[in-house]
Amino acid sequence: MNFAFSEEQEELRRTVRDFLEDLSPESEVRRLMETTEGYDSGVWTKLAGELGLTGLAIPEEHGGAGYGFVEVGIVLEEAGRALLCAPYFSTVVLAATTLVASGDDAAQKDFLPGIASGDIRATLAFTEESGRWDADGITLPATRSGNEWRLSGSKTYVLDGHTADLVLVAARTTAGVSLFAVPGDAPGLTRTALPTMDLTRKQARLDFDNTPARLIGADGDGATVLPRVLDTAAIGLAAEQVGGAQKVLEMAVEYAKIRVQFGRPIGSFQAIKHKCADMLLDVESAKSAAYYGLWAAAESNDELPVVASVAKSYCSDAFFHCAAENIQVHGGIGFTWEHPAHLYFKRAKTSQLLLGDPAYHREQLAQRIGI
Amino acid sequence: MNIVVTVKQVPDTWAEKKLDPTTRTTDRKSVDNVMNEMDEYGVEEALKIKEAHGGEVTVVTMGPEKALETVRKALSMGADKAVHITDEALAGSDALQTSAALAKVIATLSPDIVITAAEASDARGGVLGALLAEHLGFPQLTQARKVTVDPGAGTVRIERQADNGYLLVEAATPVVVGVVEKINQPRYPSFKGIMAAKKKPLTTLSVADAGLDPGTVGLANAASTVLDAQPAPPRQSGTIVKDEGDGGTRVADFLAAQKLI
Repeated sequence: MNFAFSEEQEELRRTVRDFLEDLSPESEVRRLMETTEGYDSGVWTKLAGELGLTGLAIPEEHGGAGYGFVEVGIVLEEAGRALLCAPYFSTVVLAATTLVASGDDAAQKDFLPGIASGDIRATLAFTEESGRWDADGITLPATRSGNEWRLSGSKTYVLDGHTADLVLVAARTTAGVSLFAVPGDAPGLTRTALPTMDLTRKQARLDFDNTPARLIGADGDGATVLPRVLDTAAIGLAAEQVGGAQKVLEMAVEYAKIRVQFGRPIGSFQAIKHKCADMLLDVESAKSAAYYGLWAAAESNDELPVVASVAKSYCSDAFFHCAAENIQVHGGIGFTWEHPAHLYFKRAKTSQLLLGDPAYHREQLAQRIGI
Repeated sequence: MNIVVTVKQVPDTWAEKKLDPTTRTTDRKSVDNVMNEMDEYGVEEALKIKEAHGGEVTVVTMGPEKALETVRKALSMGADKAVHITDEALAGSDALQTSAALAKVIATLSPDIVITAAEASDARGGVLGALLAEHLGFPQLTQARKVTVDPGAGTVRIERQADNGYLLVEAATPVVVGVVEKINQPRYPSFKGIMAAKKKPLTTLSVADAGLDPGTVGLANAASTVLDAQPAPPRQSGTIVKDEGDGGTRVADFLAAQKLI
């Protein structure tokens, strides 16, 4: 088994990094985080059309490039590094993964080509008021009259829910948890952008009032499809966290070399060296966990549930620790609005909670390995 | 349209560039090497012409084995095939020798249009296009900020960047066209393109394969020699005006002395 990235995958990484350095520099991140929609449609079009990043893991028969989750992971890592403000995670990692996992041919034909081309921005509405990331948290009822399904109730903390063209909804029917597709402008759907701590990733509350919905897969399928989607997404988020952690480590080391105090660079003080060394340890271990996870997700093998919880719990803590330590290494300037340290800190905090916090995933892990 | 575009691998634009102390040629080992930024505009323009009029884009480069990375980049952007002239004997070749070697190979490709960048970011000679045109016996259109091809008439018309506007210049094919940055926005390769680049035809030519005379190439036979090189002197510290109530006046005096106000 070879876990090293291929030459072509490294080239993909370089290309995406160049692209994001050009089109998603800090000034753009700061501009977009102040907007309600939270992304730039020109950058999105280029990212999807020219670079083909939204279709990387979508099968060729559905307009994608037919590669796997390792390639998506590389993009996510770079997106995390640049704090890219775009509905990439929601569209590609949550929605496209759900559609592919659903096995619903007709729905895949209808939606995947649009996602691959960038014409459809999509998301998955899973969490409700309880904020729970397991099936028991899903209470929103879907009712059937004849051949028609309707949704009534609320979803919240939905990533990019206020701008998505297509919302995949996890709802409860008499058969259990099922998946539904609702267009963003469906009748009876009210979408409200939520104030978020991490301004670079938008969330929304969705209120459904007798909203017509299309069943994806068979009634009751959600119970088998969604755990796989959440595990895959957890690994994707772990890769994104690795990118952010690597970036704040670089920022801290860079600053420790140039900031002079008491007549010498602060990087020569043992307390700072220890902080940087601990961050490096975190980043390297996080990479190992995330990359193994990407491989498991690409292979879609039996290890996926276990490694997903390992990756999500470890990488969440690693990124958060690194983002917090970066502020400490920077001292006073690290606490200012103008310095980017807080942007990473906030991303680290919200990513830690998204898809289940580390305690939740350690509990999952214990259950999954049977202890 | 048979389009040839020349590319060059150069030390990273933003890296500190060094000369090898013994040969006084560019030290390529101590820095990251990338495609000459302006060449990306050349490749993009070649692809645009191909997309509009059909044909084939061939990338030609001369350089050490590592220069293959740059060829791959051009192929992943969408070029169809590549020719890489590489030989230990070529090391240290100057612009005259490089242009002679490239011209010899380009002539065998019978191009309609040869695209070069206005200059490379390392040597900044800006002469390759003219030298190629001379060797090939083609007309040369320089400093193009817009290129319009008329395949029927067999002509290429460009907007030539000038200080206060542009000149419309036209030439019959085959022609050498030099492009400037304003011309387009180079595309980023997709992963599909990156994967496809691996399978595209690549011809590697040695001095002998290219039919070059070994007695004319390389540092020893170069027409120009770098005799000496010095790093640019560090910038001198500025003038500090200590404000003793007349700071504003003295700043104004300083600016006036520099003829800025």
